[in-house]
Amino acid sequence: MLTMAEAVREAMSIAFDERPEVFLLGEDVGIYGGAFGVSGDMYHRYGADRVLDTPIAELGIVGAAVGAALSGMRPIVEIQFSDFTAQAMDQIANQAAKIHFMLGGALHVPMVLRTPQGSGTGAAAQHSQNLEPWFASVPGLKVVVPSNPADAKGLLLAAIDDPNPVIFLEHKLLYKIPGRDPVPEGSARIPLGVSKVVREGKDLTIVATGIMVNKSYEVAEKLAAEGISITLIDPRTISPLDMGPVFESVEKTGRLMVVQEGPAQAGFINEVIAQLAGSSSFGSLIAPIKRLAGMNIPIPYAPQLEKAAVPQIEDIEAAAREIVKNWR
Amino acid sequence: MWRIRKFEEAVEDLFGRGMMHGTMHLSIGQEASPTGMCMAMTLQDQITSTHRGHGHCIAKGADLTRMIAELLGKKIGYCGGRGGSMHIADVETGNLGANGVVGGGLPIAAGAALASKMMNRGTVAVSFFGDGAMNEGAFHEAANMAAIWKLPMILFCENNGYGMSSSTAKAFAIDNLADRGKGYGIPGVNVDGNDVVAVYEVAQAAVDRAKAGEGPTLIIAETYRWKGHSRSDKNLYRTKEEIEEWRTKDPIPRFISRAIEAGLLNQEQCDAIQNDAIEAIKAAVNEAVKAESAEPSGLLDAVFKAVSA
Amino acid sequence: MSFKYPVVMPKMSMTMETGELINFHVAVGDQVKSGDVLFEVMTDKIDMEVEAPADGVIESLVANPGDVVEIGKPVLIMLTETEVMAFDFGDDNEPVASVEVVAPAPVVETPVVVAPPAPIIVNTNVKAVPKARVEAANRGIDLRTVHPTGPDRTITMQDVNGAQLDPAIIKRQEANKALIAKGIEMTRGIAQASFTRSVSANFDHAQFIAAWAKVLRGRPDLAAHEHIGVALIIESKYGSALPVFRDPDQSSIADLAALVASTTDAAKNGKVPVAMLSGATTTVFDLTTYSMSSATPLLFPNQVTSVTIGYESATTKIVSLTIDLNFCDFYDGALLLDALVASL
Repeated sequence: MLTMAEAVREAMSIAFDERPEVFLLGEDVGIYGGAFGVSGDMYHRYGADRVLDTPIAELGIVGAAVGAALSGMRPIVEIQFSDFTAQAMDQIANQAAKIHFMLGGALHVPMVLRTPQGSGTGAAAQHSQNLEPWFASVPGLKVVVPSNPADAKGLLLAAIDDPNPVIFLEHKLLYKIPGRDPVPEGSARIPLGVSKVVREGKDLTIVATGIMVNKSYEVAEKLAAEGISITLIDPRTISPLDMGPVFESVEKTGRLMVVQEGPAQAGFINEVIAQLAGSSSFGSLIAPIKRLAGMNIPIPYAPQLEKAAVPQIEDIEAAAREIVKNWR
Repeated sequence: MWRIRKFEEAVEDLFGRGMMHGTMHLSIGQEASPTGMCMAMTLQDQITSTHRGHGHCIAKGADLTRMIAELLGKKIGYCGGRGGSMHIADVETGNLGANGVVGGGLPIAAGAALASKMMNRGTVAVSFFGDGAMNEGAFHEAANMAAIWKLPMILFCENNGYGMSSSTAKAFAIDNLADRGKGYGIPGVNVDGNDVVAVYEVAQAAVDRAKAGEGPTLIIAETYRWKGHSRSDKNLYRTKEEIEEWRTKDPIPRFISRAIEAGLLNQEQCDAIQNDAIEAIKAAVNEAVKAESAEPSGLLDAVFKAVSA
Repeated sequence: MSFKYPVVMPKMSMTMETGELINFHVAVGDQVKSGDVLFEVMTDKIDMEVEAPADGVIESLVANPGDVVEIGKPVLIMLTETEVMAFDFGDDNEPVASVEVVAPAPVVETPVVVAPPAPIIVNTNVKAVPKARVEAANRGIDLRTVHPTGPDRTITMQDVNGAQLDPAIIKRQEANKALIAKGIEMTRGIAQASFTRSVSANFDHAQFIAAWAKVLRGRPDLAAHEHIGVALIIESKYGSALPVFRDPDQSSIADLAALVASTTDAAKNGKVPVAMLSGATTTVFDLTTYSMSSATPLLFPNQVTSVTIGYESATTKIVSLTIDLNFCDFYDGALLLDALVASL
């Protein structure tokens, strides 16, 4: 079964074959095969004309991608760690995100920015962030967070098709492992902006992003054996966000828990809570909404500290038990 | 050049009457640079422009009515009233847009040049920027990438001596800005930015170089802006004498006397050109003022380009 | 060619509407060059020098130093040889007349009687999960009487579901249930017949009650009482109420409509006046609120007739008449229904 890195590579290769205007640029994506091995052998298969090794210049790289996108190409730009998107923020947030709107639709930016995010590799504070809210809070960007290889392939193909700038946030810990489901053959797209109900239950609704989807799934499996049935929803695209299945599910279960890796304060998952709290589904709640998220700290280095900084399976399990037990 | 001059004067007047929102960055006195550069370009060649970009847009062939309409927040404005002075783009004339971020257009122009090379289009991408942008990281990253990949790009600096209130004397440790080209391995060329013929010659050489696949050129055009950085500028950082001196180097009368001396034009023809420009601007303003104002409905749908099924 | 050009008070910031003229740097008759300073102006945040837009001569000074001048209004006039780019569109920007929204006159309620039962207060700091609040409101439960077992003394769904209702409300609900049960039992003992007709007409309760009363008035031979009292079943969370409208054909339709409306409101709040609870000679059941077309008829003893209004479609209703065969024979029943339908 394909890993996340292989699934992403497969999607890029399919896109390369379908459209000559698709190309990849980034640091070490060519001969090296990508810092996390994602681009792999693409350099040898497609050549230096389509897989461009760039100097270390994130602002310039992303800006070049914007300019190329404005001129008829479909660039995929890889930023080696999502933390380094900070160097490129003018081109991401002030240029790419705003061009279609502020130019009155005269131009658009069909560009995908792929970048690994998240903690767990001991890379410490500047190489481990989850920056979902940075991008989700900028109108004009679409933001995708795949939780498994099968979704990653279909979502990336759709992102490359999309005429707008898409930020594609991959999790480092997922690169080298296969998912629960095999990656399908072929070139089917998974549309952006559609949430997925990963499993159905009646006692508790969990909405989780990225790597937290998989942790929550394990908890759901374990608790199902004890008679606690959990609905797990993976938004997949966090902006634009599809809340429909969340409203429906909360009306059935009456209990909502949201789980994200990034720090709790002003994190993306608060958007789910805000929308639910202002909706008519609010009247179906029989328990307060539970939020599990990272601590409001930079990611520490030592492994036990690194683990303590973000929700783990035990935390999700304990919270699920508590909410179902105390709120009947 | 007259069109740019009269356009900017009209904008100054309309803004002074409270008819334009926000602020305006006028390029009066700098007309020769964009004019000379754009004369060496075709419609398909591309430019990125700056916050002081009305001259670039006009020199590349923008529609005057749609420009004024945009500044007045009208529906028919280039951006439908959503962008304003600093974001005017015109796809048909290869204008990839003015930019409100100093240096923002440099990497974008590099990308456009990269696309041109990858698609074998044979076009060049010119990035207009000011002396202030040369200290932005974006300038460095774009110049280097253009150099290593030999992109068909021209880095055209309108050096008017000031990045808002910082003079080049204080912002640079070097005297000759063109020397920076050496740092990237590309030619750095100085030119009198108020001599439209000289600018044209230097521009054409850079275009030829780019189209021959020899890579980018850094052009430093020395010029001066008569008006403040923007409408709220009190000119505390420069002297009256300096402004006076540069007014005597007005690019427009310089070219007129040169053309007349060379026997290519006579005074009547020159006056006619000026009058045509005045009439064109007046017509554009009158038409734009009557146009429908932009409305808030449809703003949400304007963020993304619709995905075709 | 000479152009007369007014140099105006410029707008120097977004909020500026007027500026003060500080002083002139020129006098009438002075020759000026483009860029020369003509005068200085000031707003609360900025002071600026205003320059000549072109070469020319000062023709006249319009404002005086110290004057406060509106933006766009002239400060001095100069004559120029070159046409200055100047656009005076006059006062095109009239403020849009604000539209006054007239609030509708408030409806004056005339609530009727019956003192509410005294609540038994147990829990003064009421925290409840959202669904519990919704449920309590629907069932008429006062949350203050519910014992909270959730964390932080929060009322949970379980608490509300198991809650004791206000005894007075329970009593009333039991009483209503008993009434209906008794009615059905009694109906079974009466020899009866039912007739049904479709009606394509629009009518409200007041119109229906008045029409039915008129029909009955025309058949005194079928009456068991001197007066006509039309009882209308109204459902509320307190159970079914049966207010009686006495001789409704004898008041104006407007008065009757007002009485029906206020009584309906009162009934929904469990507050029908005692005086209206007796004297029924016929009963009307409106099933349309439940989208029902027909139901088991209830015929109360000593009421010769009962009528149900059922729902057939958006434009058609079904009217069903049940008669007590002891007082009214078969054929007369059919005639009554005919007459009622005809009058609607």
